[in-house]
Amino acid sequence: MRSDVRDKLRAWLGDDLTFVEALPDDELARLCAALEAARRGQAKALATASDEAVRQMPAPLRGTIGKILGR
Amino acid sequence: MADNLAASAELVKLARALGTTQDEIAFTTPLGAAGIRLLRERVVGALYDEHRAAFRRVAAITRTLPMPVNVRITLRAFPPLLAARVAGEMTPERAAELANRLPVEYLAESCVHLDPRRAAPLISRLDPDRVLAVVVELVDRDDFVTLGRLLDAASEKLLAHLAAAISDEALLRIGCYAESGAQLARAIGVLTPERLRGIVRTAVTGPPDLRAAGLATIGRLDDDLLRGRLAEYAASASDDVLTAMLHTALDEGAVAEMLSAVAAMGEDAQRRVVSLPALGDEAVRTRLVDAAADLGLLPILAPLDALRSS
Repeated sequence: MRSDVRDKLRAWLGDDLTFVEALPDDELARLCAALEAARRGQAKALATASDEAVRQMPAPLRGTIGKILGR
Repeated sequence: MADNLAASAELVKLARALGTTQDEIAFTTPLGAAGIRLLRERVVGALYDEHRAAFRRVAAITRTLPMPVNVRITLRAFPPLLAARVAGEMTPERAAELANRLPVEYLAESCVHLDPRRAAPLISRLDPDRVLAVVVELVDRDDFVTLGRLLDAASEKLLAHLAAAISDEALLRIGCYAESGAQLARAIGVLTPERLRGIVRTAVTGPPDLRAAGLATIGRLDDDLLRGRLAEYAASASDDVLTAMLHTALDEGAVAEMLSAVAAMGEDAQRRVVSLPALGDEAVRTRLVDAAADLGLLPILAPLDALRSS
């Protein structure tokens, strides 16, 4: 397994990767890419939902909630 | 698409967790059902843990506000995706108090996004009538993956209500995606013999996908006695119906599930199944005998074992 792929998978899935070691290197790289895409997709969905939440908030709460949600 | 029914169900769930299609992650099929499940559990953990700090801070704010204000802000400002993530960071008591005041459609959509690791303590505190209404809403949406996850979070008392409230077909399709064979057995085990016969009849006389759901359900049960009862009901069907089940098992990669059902039958019922004309086909017979040998089931499948020398 390529070390950069292994490092990323370990960071996301935990140190013990024996359960995916049956996959060849190119498929582990695809798994890594699928996880990266999922993280990006989740971040985008949460950002959209957070923006909508801030927009709908009563004005006095908008700044605080926006800051908490990182918007 | 996996050639094994259990792995196929796990692929569906992994694809859902990753927000992609089964085709895109079909390369994980060699991991098998157990490996794909473990991968999914790690993926879900990683994704849900990623933004927890922000949601925990929002949850902290909700503690300072009266519940009616939280309800108003949630409905006005928080899409279900966000509400589910915040609810996962609230105490189960507080999250349930909020959820009990939200509309059923909103709750159903929130359930789709709820962290499965935090679902049980929350659901056990919800008003059972609301949970039932959410289940009915999710059945209407054909969201059996979410329902399979909710089944895992339901208390024994709630399971009895749930199983009684939904159709045979919905129960079978939920069985396909149930996270726990023990929970599925509890949900089905409380049903009356008449209802169980009806569920089996619905499965064996249904279209191929429903027959496959029936095989997946019986294969997932964590209770051999219950599996045996259901299998005996199935064995009383006509030759045509049993032959259709056999072909579904062969075509959909559910031979292991079918053999586990036959192995749980009494010997008379086993003989009835093994005497189906379809087993006159040597290729079919060999496939079943080899699969039973691989699964270690031949010692309890005497009529099938006897076919080895025929």
